[in-house]
Amino acid sequence: MRRRLRTQLPLFLLLAGFTAVNLTPIIWGFLTSLKQPVDAFAVPPEWIFQPTLTFHAQVWFEKGFGAFLVNSVVISVCTVLTSVSVGTMAAYGLARLSSRTSRGLLFGLLAMRMFPHILLAIPFFVLAKTLGLINTYLAMILALVAINQPFTIWLMRSFFVDVPHELYEAASIDGCNAWQVFSRVALPVVRPGLWVTALFSLLLAYNEFLFALVLTGPDTKTLPVAIAEYGGEDINYWSLSAAAAVGIMLPIVMFMMLLQRHLVRGLALGAVKG
Amino acid sequence: MVYPLGYAIYLSLFNYDLGNGAHDFIGFGNYGALLAEQRFWNSLDRTVAIVLAAVGLEFGLGLAIAYGLYRLTFGVRTLNLLLFLPNIVTPVVAALFLRWIFMGRWGLIAGTLIGWGIFPPDFLGDPDWARATVILADAWQFTPFMIMVLYAGLNTVDQSQIEAAQIDGAGVWTLLFRIMMPAIQPLIVFVLAIRLMDAFRFFDTIYVMTGGGPGSATETITLYTYALAFRLLQVGKACALGVLTLLFVALLTALMIRFVYRRERGAF
Repeated sequence: MRRRLRTQLPLFLLLAGFTAVNLTPIIWGFLTSLKQPVDAFAVPPEWIFQPTLTFHAQVWFEKGFGAFLVNSVVISVCTVLTSVSVGTMAAYGLARLSSRTSRGLLFGLLAMRMFPHILLAIPFFVLAKTLGLINTYLAMILALVAINQPFTIWLMRSFFVDVPHELYEAASIDGCNAWQVFSRVALPVVRPGLWVTALFSLLLAYNEFLFALVLTGPDTKTLPVAIAEYGGEDINYWSLSAAAAVGIMLPIVMFMMLLQRHLVRGLALGAVKG
Repeated sequence: MVYPLGYAIYLSLFNYDLGNGAHDFIGFGNYGALLAEQRFWNSLDRTVAIVLAAVGLEFGLGLAIAYGLYRLTFGVRTLNLLLFLPNIVTPVVAALFLRWIFMGRWGLIAGTLIGWGIFPPDFLGDPDWARATVILADAWQFTPFMIMVLYAGLNTVDQSQIEAAQIDGAGVWTLLFRIMMPAIQPLIVFVLAIRLMDAFRFFDTIYVMTGGGPGSATETITLYTYALAFRLLQVGKACALGVLTLLFVALLTALMIRFVYRRERGAF
């Protein structure tokens, strides 16, 4: 026991130390958001100071981040609903097709994963401009669904493949038609997988920057674009942009923490099975 | 998905300029212009260097940490969760956080060093340091992903194999390199392939942290494409550049997939 402790404790301290270093940028950003400019620019940096919530309030109430949050939420939720429902059906189809037929399609999907997004952003932009869809939710949602789709299909398929074939056969013998086999039998079985897929889609949609930068306008700007415009340049706004940054991070991090177990399992599953 | 790609290829054959409204067919003119251009080769070199360094760092670190977590008997759940955080944070926000760490003079590192009486280099302003910083930034965000996947992989290794090796007197590192890594080799290749593909289109962090600067020290292919399309408005040329990137990444991935398939035929 003693010997085990002697190897375990340094290992733990090493890993905990790495974790601490790893989290420093996040903690530091959080502290900056609570600082008055005087404290934010102190050299050497201050770890202890009089905290203030002024900037958090200012970001949300005066600088219009509330509206950007609404944009982000509308776009994310619509993207998740569309891509998960389409992806689930496609994945079910692929999982039930003979492996030779579906293999080509699956490789095609994987190939799409490696597209440089910038290559798609340009035609999307030109198309959206021609159709007058710039600065609409629709353009952004369609673009996000398109880039997200290969991933949702791929992941959902790995869950459907796990369902034993006998289950489907039993259902159709009992008189289910094709649609009922899908909705009454297959869907309930893969419900945990559905959650995982929805979570990842949400993460992608909420965090997406390049397409949002190109396709949104003043009325549909999402949080990442807003903060990038804000935070970068003017050094006087440090505390303000830190508050905004923390504000963007908190909802998604809290959401993910709550659903952490699903997330980790899904990641492991998706990656191991690929 | 296929339509925009086709449209991009189609556009890449035109001298299509949103600025002056030009729209004429020039065949492979854009490709020729790009291949003759020093800026293209520079950005390609830079991208390859940054991607290889970042992915290498992520893999080395990720494997070490994952193995550490695997050997650890307590507190693993909590550490795992905390370690994963940087991967969830919106990339743009992460880039801002990192800016505040690395910024010259007022950043956390520079400020602390000044406090100790050391005058630090300008991490984002000096070309070499800026490149190193960008690599670190990518590693910060994506090492957690490596850790998570490799940790999951290590846990799938057959326990009896490990015990047998231990009885034969294998040490901690022999166990990792001789038994466990070969066992999860397909997973390793897969995760490296995924990271390579993703790192190639790495955009948000560099855009926010350095904007490709100073000068063009951190201008990767993606940033160059963006500049061509949305700053210089040369859409046709930008599309051509995108297509070239795609071909390059596809080639790389095809090589990796072949490599996996030689070993692991029954993977699907």
